[in-house]
Amino acid sequence: MALSTVSRVRRQLPTSPWLFAAPGLLITGVFILYPFGSTLANAFTDRRTLIPGHFVGFANFRELWHDDMFWTGLRNSTLYIVGVVPALVVLPLLLALLVQKNIPGITFFRSAFYTPVVASIVVVGLIWVWLLDERGLVNSLLETIGVGRIGFLSDQWLLLFSAMAVTVWKGLGYYMIIYLAALANVPRELHEAASVDGAGAIRRFFTVTVPAVRSTMVLVGALSSVAAFKVFSEVYLMAGPSGGPAGEDTTLVMLVQRTGTGLTGRVGYASALSVVVFVVTVALMLLVLRADRREDA
Amino acid sequence: MRISRRVFAAAAAAVVLMPLSACGSGGDDGGSTDASGKVEGDITFQTWNLRANFKSYFEGVVSGFEKKYPGTHVKWIDQPAEGYADKISADAAGGTLPDVVNVSPDLVAPLAKAGLALDLDKAAAKYKSEYLPGAWASHQIPGMTGTYAFPWYLNTGPLFYNKSLFKQAGLDPDQPPTTYDELFADALQLAQKTDGKVATLANVPTVEDFGRYGVELMNKAGTAFAFNDAKGIELLTKYKELYDAKALDPQALTATPESSGKKFLTGAVAMNPGSALDLDNFKKQAPTLYKNIGITDQITSTGHVNMYVMGVMVNSKTKHTAASVAFAHYVTDAQQQMSFAKKVAIFPSTAGSLDDPYFTKEDGTDETRVRIAAAKSLKNAVNYTPVLFSEQMKTALRNEVAKALQGKESPKTALDNAVKQCDTLLQQQG
Repeated sequence: MALSTVSRVRRQLPTSPWLFAAPGLLITGVFILYPFGSTLANAFTDRRTLIPGHFVGFANFRELWHDDMFWTGLRNSTLYIVGVVPALVVLPLLLALLVQKNIPGITFFRSAFYTPVVASIVVVGLIWVWLLDERGLVNSLLETIGVGRIGFLSDQWLLLFSAMAVTVWKGLGYYMIIYLAALANVPRELHEAASVDGAGAIRRFFTVTVPAVRSTMVLVGALSSVAAFKVFSEVYLMAGPSGGPAGEDTTLVMLVQRTGTGLTGRVGYASALSVVVFVVTVALMLLVLRADRREDA
Repeated sequence: MRISRRVFAAAAAAVVLMPLSACGSGGDDGGSTDASGKVEGDITFQTWNLRANFKSYFEGVVSGFEKKYPGTHVKWIDQPAEGYADKISADAAGGTLPDVVNVSPDLVAPLAKAGLALDLDKAAAKYKSEYLPGAWASHQIPGMTGTYAFPWYLNTGPLFYNKSLFKQAGLDPDQPPTTYDELFADALQLAQKTDGKVATLANVPTVEDFGRYGVELMNKAGTAFAFNDAKGIELLTKYKELYDAKALDPQALTATPESSGKKFLTGAVAMNPGSALDLDNFKKQAPTLYKNIGITDQITSTGHVNMYVMGVMVNSKTKHTAASVAFAHYVTDAQQQMSFAKKVAIFPSTAGSLDDPYFTKEDGTDETRVRIAAAKSLKNAVNYTPVLFSEQMKTALRNEVAKALQGKESPKTALDNAVKQCDTLLQQQG
């Protein structure tokens, strides 16, 4: 009897993990794997929103190679990484160091720095559009101090940099929280020992704090570069649906949205663009992880 | 139960290959074009951002229809304005398009091409004479025979201008521009007198502007765009002059109708197109502007102002064709349209309705003056937006226009490029 129970349990064991994982697998399959497979398959067709497509091989990829707007999108998405990631790796760390200390009223500052994270991106975007408008608060102040009005929302580069500034401003609090958790794990003794050895605050920052949170910095770098490459909302809200003057501020994800949506959307071509975004994003992650491993070695 | 690697691989392959099966041709499991049967059954009616302000009106329409045709039940749903086209395309692609749908001509074109809009020339020809001929024709698609939506309400509007800004620039506030030459001259003077701080216009020229200027937008067969002719280049060259002189707002390159409306409200631009609906908005949001508001006719070189047309389409796949056609006609008949027009500043597309005293008799108020002028101009107005002009084409034109205004391309090159891109998109539409 006992033996048969054991053998039954043994027979059933392999099933149990799958049953436990089933809900997660189902969700992953329906919401991640199927759309992923669908996008991959559509990338090789000329499918439109309402018209079933035919297999066209690599035609969509050849077309995007010759599409000026694709290169504009790739340039802007890459520039976004260059502009945003260093700021989001360094500034939240400094902010975390500032609010790390337990002094009266510090909770207020922590909350204040985190507020932009919870604010809706649409609301944030609209507020910044009002602020940076030709007749907005920022330009009024600039005019008052004699600098004159600046076309933050009409010049292609200023517009892109303004959107980057909003991304950095909105992301500071989020990454600050990640750094705060990492900083809490840095042994106080290390700082004390360094102080005893005569290291000042800046020296301690570079020789104790930075090495201690280096893996967190890599994580923040990876997360923020993926997010930066896939930027959509900030640029869409500030540059408008056409992607800024002459579409020069269009990012790759904006191009996917513009090409693939609506009743006349080119689903096949937009899918090919999405595949490129996916490949670049994965490559980016691998690059960051490789750099991390190399430093560890 | 062990899941073998082979089974797992098969499942993974299915996940990847399954979507390919969607690339085949769609089946036809729809209803018929015969609307002569008994009017009965449950149907769904979708409107475009109308619930917030007109809930009781539409509930009345629905209950009136259900009373007239016992055995019918209409489920009314409303979608927000933002992303309406995306919602329709998702429903159309997913086979969940409502039976009766509020559409505009550019939305109905791809639906008709995909075989999802019922041809009313076949299913509802008897109602054709009830509508203005131009309005009925507005849902006809070049390259296709048939009419794919009942015309519903029309709209057009005057050009509003800020009299106080005109005065500041030394312009006569009671003599607004009536021709394009006058408009461009006044705009340059206004920019010069205010050191470029006040622009006259806030938007780059759209396809409607080219049409109103007298540019041939498409060839006669509707198979290719043609707005890169000499007249089109002339208009864009004029706009370039305005942009350089800051008579066209510097943010016009990224402006939306909403943002330019706000600029007019704040006195940053001197003129803005609008409708009778805007007067109430001016009164509430910018009382100072309202005191200085000037109202003039749309400027046009063709003698025809631009109009916007709304339509009501019947889903060709509906299981209740008779009820859907009857309801779409009921919503758009003269009585319902007149009743709706008295609730909001829109204009009926039914024959004879614009001769109603409501659209012809002055009562001394600005609202009535605007309404009467608009109703008069609608009698020979034109919907300049080609029905095949998609969102992607609008973006292509807008971006090329922006390049010309920035001086990156000549107006001719920009329009040639825009036409080329629009033609490619047109061919891809099939």
